[in-house]
Amino acid sequence: MTDTAPLDPAFAPNPTVEVANTSVWFGQKVALSELSCSFGPGVTGLLGPNGAGKTTLMRAITGLIPANQGTVRVEGRNPRTDRAVHTRMALVPEDEAVPAGLTARQLVRYVADLHGLTDRDAVERALDEVGMLDVAGRRVDGFSKGMRQRTKVAAALVADPNVLVLDEPLNGADPVQRAHLIDLFRRLGREGRTVIVSSHVLNEVERLADRIIVIVHGRLAAAGGQRAIRDAMNDRPRHVLIRADDRRRLASALIGLDSVAGIQFDTDSVVVATSRAAELAMSLPALARELSVRLREVRPLDDSLESLFRELVR
Amino acid sequence: MTTATSTHRRPWRLAVIVAYTLRSCIGPKRWVGCLLPCAGALLFGLLAHAMKEAPGDAFARVAADGIFALVVPIASLVIGDAVFGAEVRSGVFHFTWLTPTPLTSIVVGRWIGGTIVALVTIVPACGLAALIAGDPDGVLPAAIASAFGASAYIAVFVAIGCVARRAAVWSLAFVFLVERLLGTALTGIAQWSPTWESRAVFVDFSPGAPQSIVRDGIPVGGGAVVRLVLIAAIALVIARVRLSRLRITGAAD
Repeated sequence: MTDTAPLDPAFAPNPTVEVANTSVWFGQKVALSELSCSFGPGVTGLLGPNGAGKTTLMRAITGLIPANQGTVRVEGRNPRTDRAVHTRMALVPEDEAVPAGLTARQLVRYVADLHGLTDRDAVERALDEVGMLDVAGRRVDGFSKGMRQRTKVAAALVADPNVLVLDEPLNGADPVQRAHLIDLFRRLGREGRTVIVSSHVLNEVERLADRIIVIVHGRLAAAGGQRAIRDAMNDRPRHVLIRADDRRRLASALIGLDSVAGIQFDTDSVVVATSRAAELAMSLPALARELSVRLREVRPLDDSLESLFRELVR
Repeated sequence: MTTATSTHRRPWRLAVIVAYTLRSCIGPKRWVGCLLPCAGALLFGLLAHAMKEAPGDAFARVAADGIFALVVPIASLVIGDAVFGAEVRSGVFHFTWLTPTPLTSIVVGRWIGGTIVALVTIVPACGLAALIAGDPDGVLPAAIASAFGASAYIAVFVAIGCVARRAAVWSLAFVFLVERLLGTALTGIAQWSPTWESRAVFVDFSPGAPQSIVRDGIPVGGGAVVRLVLIAAIALVIARVRLSRLRITGAAD
C-alpha cells in the first residue's frame, strides 16, 4: 500500500520558491499575514483584489523587502541576503517608473552588464522577444505604459532567469501585445521556469496560469487549478447590493430564484444573500429585463472579493 | 552546424554603476539644481570685493561662511540625493538592486559618480570664485578644499539615502541643524563636519587666509584632508550596512 496523502494545493510538488509562515507589515498595516505557499516550474497566477498583498509577496520573494516573520527561500537560498540568487531570478514590477534618460537598449544593456553577461547578442534577443527591437533606440521615459512594461520584461529576460516574478505585467498592453506576452510567459513556463504572475483580473490569470493562488487581505484565500478556484469562489456565500427602480417587484421575483438564499430590504436598495454568485449574475439582468425594472447599481458587499466578483459578473 | 555567439569582455560592474549614475541619475533638472549654487559661489567671489580687507583675507571670510558653509553642502546635497535617495524614492532602484552586483560596488559606484559630477561643477566654481575675488593664490586651496569637502558630503548624503526615505529633508537637517547649529556650539560635532574640515583644509593651503576662521581643536591642511577622507569612508560603510537592510518599495508606497 502506498501513502497517497493529498498534496495541499498551496504547495507546488517541486518548489523553487518557498514561502513559510511569512508576515510583512508596514507600521500598523499588515500586508501579509502568516502566508505559506510555494511555487514550482510552470506558470502560477497570483490573484487578489487591489491591496491584497500580491505586490508585497512578490517583493518579499525577490528580496526587495524583508519578511518580518517567517522565511522566504528561492532555490533554497535567502533572496534578501544571498546576492547570488539574483543571477537566477528577475522581477517585472508593477511600477511605471523607469530610469530617466536611458533608451530601451541602454536600460536592458545596463541590467545585462550588472549580470556580467558576455554574450553581445543577449540584449538584442531580449528586446526582440518582447517586440521592442524597432524602438530600442528611443528613451524609455517617453514610452507608453505598455511599452515601458515590455521593456522591463526584456530587462528581466536578458539574464535568462529560472525564476521570473511578474507583477501585473499586462497592465497598459494593447490586445495584440497582451496576447504576445501571454504566449511568451506560457512558453517560459513550459520550458520549466518558475513564472509567477500577479493580476487582479481572473480571466487574465486563467489564460496565463494552470495553477492559481488567491490572496485576500494578506492571507491565502484559495489555491489550486482554475476550476477549483472558480468553484471555491462560486461556493462562497456573498451579499450583493442591488439598487433598482422598483426594488419590491424585483425582490419578489428574485426570491424565486434558486441562487438566492435570502433578501433584506435597505433604505433604497435590496441586499441579496447568495452562495451561487455566478448564477445570480447571469439571471439578474434577464430578470430585470423581463420585469422592465431598471438596474441602477449591482455591487458585492464582501469587499475582499469585490474585484473577483466584478470580474465574474462582467 | 554550429552557431557562433559573439561575446565581449565581462563588464566591470563598478564602472557600469558609475556610467549609469552619470547618465541616468543626474538629469537636466539636477544639473540646474547643482549649477545654481555654483553660480552662487561666483557671486560670493564678487561679494569679496565689497569687503575692506586684503583680497586673500576677504575671500577667505567669504569662502568660510558662504562657499564652504552653503554652496558646497547645498550643491553636494543635490548631487548626493540624485545618485541614491531620489532613485530609491522614484522606484527604479530595483533595476540595480535585483542583480548579483555586490552592495559595496553599488554604494561606491554611486559615490564615485556623484564625486565626478562635483569635480566638474562645484570644484571649478569654487576655484573660479577665488579668481573673481582677486585672490589667485586661493584658487588651488579652494579647489582642493571643495573637492574633498564635496566628496565627503556626497558620501554622507548617500548614507542618509540608505537610512531615510525622505533623504533630501534629512540631508538638509544634517547641514543646518547638526552642522550649523550644533556644530557651532559643540566642538565635538565640528570635528566630524565636512564644512568645518573644508575650511581647515583651505586655511592651511591658502597663504592669505586668517587662522581665525578655523575652529580650535580641528587639524588643518593634510590632517583635515585625512578627516574628510575618514568621514567619507565611515559614511560609505554606514551606507553599505544600511543598504542590506533597506526596504525597497515602489514610488507609490
